[in-house]
Amino acid sequence: MKVAYYSPLPPSTSGIADYSALLLPALSRRVEVETARRRRLRRAPQADVALYHVGNDPEEHGWIVAAARRRPGIVVLHDFVLHHLVAGLTLARGDAGAYLDALEREQGLAGRLLGYAVIDNRIPPLWETRPEAFPLVGEVLRLATGLIVHSHYVEDRARAAGFEGAIWRIPHPAWPTPEVEPGAVEGTPVFGCFGHLNESKRIPQLLTAFSRLRRTRPEASLLLVGRASRRLDNLELPEGVTREHHVSEERLWSLMAACDACISLREPTMGETSGSAIRALTLGKPLVVSDVGWFAELPQEAALKVAPDEREVDALHAALELLAGNDGLRQAMGKAARGLARGEHALEQVAERYAAALEEAAGGSAVQAAVLRDVAEAAADVGLNKTGDLARRLDEVGIGG
Amino acid sequence: MRIAVCRPQVPFARGGAEIFTDDLVAELRERGHEADLVTVPFKWYPGERVLTQAFLWRLLDLEEAEGRRIDVVVATKFPSYCIRHPRKVVWLLHQFRQAYELDRTALGQFGESAQDRALRRAVQRLDGVALGEARKVFATSANVAERLERSTGIAAEVMPHPPQELAYRCEEYGDFVLSVGRLDRAKRIDLFIQAAVGRQLEAVIVGEGPDRERLESLANGRVRFVGRVSGSELADLYARCRAVYYAPVDEDFGMVPFEAFLAEKPVVTTTDAGGPLDVVRDRETGRVVEPTVEAISAALAIGEDEARTWGRAGKAIAERVTWDRAIDRLLAG
Repeated sequence: MKVAYYSPLPPSTSGIADYSALLLPALSRRVEVETARRRRLRRAPQADVALYHVGNDPEEHGWIVAAARRRPGIVVLHDFVLHHLVAGLTLARGDAGAYLDALEREQGLAGRLLGYAVIDNRIPPLWETRPEAFPLVGEVLRLATGLIVHSHYVEDRARAAGFEGAIWRIPHPAWPTPEVEPGAVEGTPVFGCFGHLNESKRIPQLLTAFSRLRRTRPEASLLLVGRASRRLDNLELPEGVTREHHVSEERLWSLMAACDACISLREPTMGETSGSAIRALTLGKPLVVSDVGWFAELPQEAALKVAPDEREVDALHAALELLAGNDGLRQAMGKAARGLARGEHALEQVAERYAAALEEAAGGSAVQAAVLRDVAEAAADVGLNKTGDLARRLDEVGIGG
Repeated sequence: MRIAVCRPQVPFARGGAEIFTDDLVAELRERGHEADLVTVPFKWYPGERVLTQAFLWRLLDLEEAEGRRIDVVVATKFPSYCIRHPRKVVWLLHQFRQAYELDRTALGQFGESAQDRALRRAVQRLDGVALGEARKVFATSANVAERLERSTGIAAEVMPHPPQELAYRCEEYGDFVLSVGRLDRAKRIDLFIQAAVGRQLEAVIVGEGPDRERLESLANGRVRFVGRVSGSELADLYARCRAVYYAPVDEDFGMVPFEAFLAEKPVVTTTDAGGPLDVVRDRETGRVVEPTVEAISAALAIGEDEARTWGRAGKAIAERVTWDRAIDRLLAG
């Protein structure tokens, strides 16, 4: 059983490249895997099933969508909202018609008209203002013979969008616990926020909540680590905030190890998971997350959840205060976090679930056909041609059509 | 209560599962229940036959018989637990091991084709559904329970079952070591033969199976094969032997250690034997050694005093496993 594996890979620094670098060795111990090369699409690997990792970066995933158009396969839907991807593959490449078509397919004529308004600069780009309202995931769902998702949230949205194929919900794998010394970071307690700092990470809200915390806990510090979008790079940082831009993997782990708790906020969510949050679980760090999408599905034993509403800053401040003032809670949450990383997010378990999904996808229909043929022949031999009851029973145990 | 005990049947084969289920029915009847054994032939090859044969159980209607309700079904091993019943209790002997830990080993069944891989997954999925709908799942050993939880996430209570009823007794710690079990490769009788021959120990092998010809050839007349024996003959062999060898690969449960213990005999097993390790403890109730000829050969040399001490310690463990306790737990709730 051979899998053609399409994904960004290192030296790309994307989260999905990191994800695949982590997953591939464990998956390769279970199924034969050939990784597809970006510039060699015409020589696609011969395989029983193709696996496409799809995320929102058009540079990283455009070639993968192109490959899926040639040969449908299993899609790992890292984001449900693919508006950035579609806009990048159409408008940004001068193909406004394709962008308008995508909007019309999803939202009808109103969608096309909105697209015209974007192109004519009459309204701000939808991918900046309301991408979640226009996911533009339709084409990718049509190309997918099955989906691998990381959350109930994405599974539910895919079903609501009409996807009828198989969906396997497989947690994001956790990294093995690295042996790192905690970095030297001043402050007590130390909070950390890691990853690409863009508009959806709620950085202004976090900074406001942290400023409030400093009034009662002047020793508290906040690490902000990761590249920032242009708008956020100019934010004024309150006292107690340490800013680091791009850091090496080793430095990232070391800084995270120095934290007492990590913060991973998101709104709007594109349905994504967070590699930083998973790393924090690996290190046994309590989390503060937004109560949306995948983040909302983290168990409350490991993550405090903050709704991204008008009381967000208050709630965030309260969460930081709670963690700052309660060692016992931090320890209990840290233990739960580590348990989660070693349990359902354990790499070997995730790889096993991937292998199961891929094996079912590659040979499942042949198995079903063979079983149904056997059963139907036996029924027909004794003159039973209406086999509805048989089919229902087969369905019950997952071997029906 | 009206209780149906479900067991797949491999025609012409009889082993631990058959003894266990026959005993269970008899013990239930003895306690005033109306119990019966339900069997369906099972052939797991070639290809998809494993699923179609398993599916036969799904078509059975055991909710009632002759107009009277069946209160409980007790399913035992794959695929009998595919049966549908509102009060299905599983006392798990084992899953279809070829789809799990035996996969990609010499004892496996599924190849590397996409269809074979998917077939294996279909068996796993079927297990998840059929075992997941049971009111309660018991496993005969910690090994079986761990495998189940690892493969399906379903938790089972460990509940060993008593061995077959024989006239267990200890007459002496004689000069021979006994092996009891089906003669197939998984039981690793070959290690026993090589170890015993190397040490010039007298060895007696009870059982039949597909590996007999190869094993006899390996023994070359230096070991006694007695084939299948009656209950009284078996009890007699247990009563007179020095110790009992039982070292299958990752065994589910294994009644043999319990039988040996009831005859106050220690058991020699290996670190990878699985179920027997629940009760065989090194230098407490027998020997637990690496699965090599050298290690087993050394372990078989048990002095009479050690054999007596360890055998009696084993008996204390075996006597705690009773049908009364097991049936109470099985039918509770």
